[in-house]
Amino acid sequence: MLGIYLHIPFCASKCSYCDFYSFPGTAAQMDAYTAALCKKIAAFPSEPADTVYFGGGTPSLLGGARLAAVLDAVRARFPLVPDAEITVECNPDSMDAALLEGLRAAGVNRLSIGIQSAHEDELRLLGRRHTFPQAREAVGQARACGFDNLALDLMYGLPGQTAEKFLQSVEAVLALHPEHLSCYGLKLEEGTPLHRAQPVLPDDDAQAETYLALCGRLASEGFEHYEISNFCRPGRRARHNAKYWDLSEYLGFGAAAHSFYRGRRFAYPRDAAAFLRGEPPVPEETVDGFDARAEYLMLRLRTADGVSRADYERRFGDFSAVERVLRPLQPHGLACCGAEGCRLTERGFLVSNAVIGLFL
Amino acid sequence: MNEQTKIRNFSIIAHIDHGKSTLADRILEQCEAVAQREMEEQLLDNMDLERERGITIKARAVSMDYHADDGETYHLNLIDTPGHVDFNYEVSRSLAACEGALLVVDAAQGIEAQTLGNTYLALEHDLEVVPIINKIDLPAAEPQRAKQEIEDIIGIPAMDSPEISAKLGTNIHDVMERIVSDIPAPGGDPEAPLRALIFDSQYDPYKGVIVYMRLIDGRVEPGSRVRMMATGAEFQVIECGAMQPLGLLPKKGLSAGEVGYFTASIKNVADTRVGDTVTEAARAAAEPLPGYRKAQAMVYCGIYTEDGSKYPDLRDALEKLQLNDAALSFEPESSIALGFGFRCGFLGMLHMEIIQERLEREFDLDLVTTLPSVVYKIIKTDGAEVSVDNPHDYPDPGQIAEAREPFVKAAIITPQEYVGNIMPMCQDRRSVFKDMKYLDSTLVELHYEMPINEIIYDFFDALKARTKGYASLDYEFCDYRPSDLVKVDLLLNGDQVDALSFIVHREKAYGRARRICEKLKENIPRQLFEVPVQAAIGGKIIARETVKAMRKDVLAKCYGGDITRKKKLLEKQKEGKKKMRTLGTVQLPTEAFMAVLKLDEE
Repeated sequence: MLGIYLHIPFCASKCSYCDFYSFPGTAAQMDAYTAALCKKIAAFPSEPADTVYFGGGTPSLLGGARLAAVLDAVRARFPLVPDAEITVECNPDSMDAALLEGLRAAGVNRLSIGIQSAHEDELRLLGRRHTFPQAREAVGQARACGFDNLALDLMYGLPGQTAEKFLQSVEAVLALHPEHLSCYGLKLEEGTPLHRAQPVLPDDDAQAETYLALCGRLASEGFEHYEISNFCRPGRRARHNAKYWDLSEYLGFGAAAHSFYRGRRFAYPRDAAAFLRGEPPVPEETVDGFDARAEYLMLRLRTADGVSRADYERRFGDFSAVERVLRPLQPHGLACCGAEGCRLTERGFLVSNAVIGLFL
Repeated sequence: MNEQTKIRNFSIIAHIDHGKSTLADRILEQCEAVAQREMEEQLLDNMDLERERGITIKARAVSMDYHADDGETYHLNLIDTPGHVDFNYEVSRSLAACEGALLVVDAAQGIEAQTLGNTYLALEHDLEVVPIINKIDLPAAEPQRAKQEIEDIIGIPAMDSPEISAKLGTNIHDVMERIVSDIPAPGGDPEAPLRALIFDSQYDPYKGVIVYMRLIDGRVEPGSRVRMMATGAEFQVIECGAMQPLGLLPKKGLSAGEVGYFTASIKNVADTRVGDTVTEAARAAAEPLPGYRKAQAMVYCGIYTEDGSKYPDLRDALEKLQLNDAALSFEPESSIALGFGFRCGFLGMLHMEIIQERLEREFDLDLVTTLPSVVYKIIKTDGAEVSVDNPHDYPDPGQIAEAREPFVKAAIITPQEYVGNIMPMCQDRRSVFKDMKYLDSTLVELHYEMPINEIIYDFFDALKARTKGYASLDYEFCDYRPSDLVKVDLLLNGDQVDALSFIVHREKAYGRARRICEKLKENIPRQLFEVPVQAAIGGKIIARETVKAMRKDVLAKCYGGDITRKKKLLEKQKEGKKKMRTLGTVQLPTEAFMAVLKLDEE
């Protein structure tokens, strides 16, 4: 079933590592943007959807009323199934009781909270606006408002970060009993302040050790490691994000929002003004050498389920082409191949780019 | 035809950077042999590479007329000589075509070791050596000291030598007058059967091979039927004439004492070997001129293109270069690691480098080359003798009765303070010390017999490094000697990489194998799994390194369903992979091969 993505490009300030499309918006801009979103949504043919995801930027900055208005527009065009997953990304510094109650009332049932670290020095380095106690309090408030599906984000591979220090953040976050945990390795993106500062990151070996320690720790807590960077309590996978890896359809609205719809990939320009003017989305840039099969393998190998033999054969034919590449990795502990299909192990996840490269 | 007494044939001997090419330009100007506006700096060196490296690769000659102070017009032939030991034979042939040589000495630096070799060569050919003191415009110039050095070391009078600045054009007139007064006119009998010495040849797409020669006796003219005395090839001369700075000047004929060229629709430069004697087919000379020697390749290596599909381009390029360079040999070979390429033979290391550079530059090829090898002689247990220039062809140790490797007589000229650095280095390279003599109070000449294998490995670099670049090395083939040789194979992840095998003296095998393994380890990017890098003699592993497995190569996030970024990243990786060679299960970048080749001393 269809997933709906809504990009909210507003941020109170830019984090040092972020190269997403975002900027601080005025109330008027936010109103105009909300209206533009609703208009675009209303222009699509109606069909049922089962996930809605507000990403950013900082969607929580938009405020409960505007988010509720957008959600109404979504519902009007894309009837949501009864158990639809409706997620809003929040920053701890823009989560107050009024917002949380507004979101609850509008039907939002999942929050993704960017905590990133439990260490103040790391939060400052990343340019985050919150402290860890603030994050803890925000989570408490969300619980108090009745949110029972919280996804928390952490980052590893930060300058000067040891595995031990990162695991302290993990412990602090586990104490908040999240249903879902995403842990992303820091990537220095060109043009960001952090990239310009040329910090020394932990080397690849150290980052790999950190990642594997994380995997071990979360496994012992009963978390399921279902995608390279995503862990969850049983039954709490992110259903919206899963669409990206399943090649399910999703429609994105808002500046820089991407869609995969009716077999085509397209996106709105990274330009809020253009979006306000009503400019249509444009096809995603095609990359040479990336056929449907390469794309499928690239996405499926991100997941713990891996490539299903049956599904692959239905789409592309002979599965032995996949096995021939992945089976030799098995003795090295990078992949697992069986009757059902092939998947990467946690060690395999760590080198997944190189593995996918074998198919190109 | 020019009156024999008015001809002067000469060459210029100079150390690199002492101003040979600049002086040649000034001499051409004095003769107005070339209009000023056409005067490019260093006209004689007309290959790009020569101009850049400041060295003369192939001998060239040019004719010009000079109106001397005595009112007569003299016909001057300047024959340029290559300046490197690899081309010693060509130097010797060029000098044999002259009656005199200008010895250019830098007024600031004095005489240099490299100059000595060629000066002695000139004196051996009974050439009149005319010292010229150049660069008197330099603040550090000490012309008197330079002159004294010439008299002391070479033993020829130099006190009244011209003091010039070729750069500024100072006193060039003196040089011209010296050429006329000091260098003898050529002898030879125009009526005798033709004998002409080939000192160079060049392929021209329209005319075929252009043969550059010095006539000793007799005449030649269009229509003459000539024979190459060493190769036996016969041709009908189509055109003959003089070499001018910017082209050829056809003439009705050439006669004894003159320097010139002929063409005869010759397809193959190998038919007109440098050093051969041209005579008349109908009236052949009884004896060829002395000193002909077939060019002998001393160093071999495999040359491949980085992009395997360029193999035909490489073949075309080598064929074109060979048209002008009979000393270059090549035959097809193939390697599992590198695909299809050629086994090429060279006069020496510089010759090899120049060919490689010309292939890359003039033909726009990206090359991968294997470790250079020399030619070994193997006596097999069944008594058969085989020559091996490719480790791939090295027989099984069980079949070898005796292995022999080539030795050279090496002469190292060095300031004496470096002798202490050089001697242990030579000893370490299995060299046999012969003798040592003082050339003057500071300059020493050391004589060794050395395996060429050691010279091609890293000797030049080591010698330069330990003598601050002051020492020079000259060598000539000596003989083959029994040697305890072994073939070392390199294995990646257990698979042998044929292109990396090498033949080496047993004592050196361990050290060299270890260094190559280290170099490979440094240059092989981490793979998905651990890759052992091993060196082995037969089945026995003698060195081992490990390329650790890649630990992390992952994009953590697919942002909001935007997968283009990741696609681009992977695509970029794929582009990088194209430059890799897949050897069994291992991806090996071209740089790894290159790094092994550049085993500089650390």
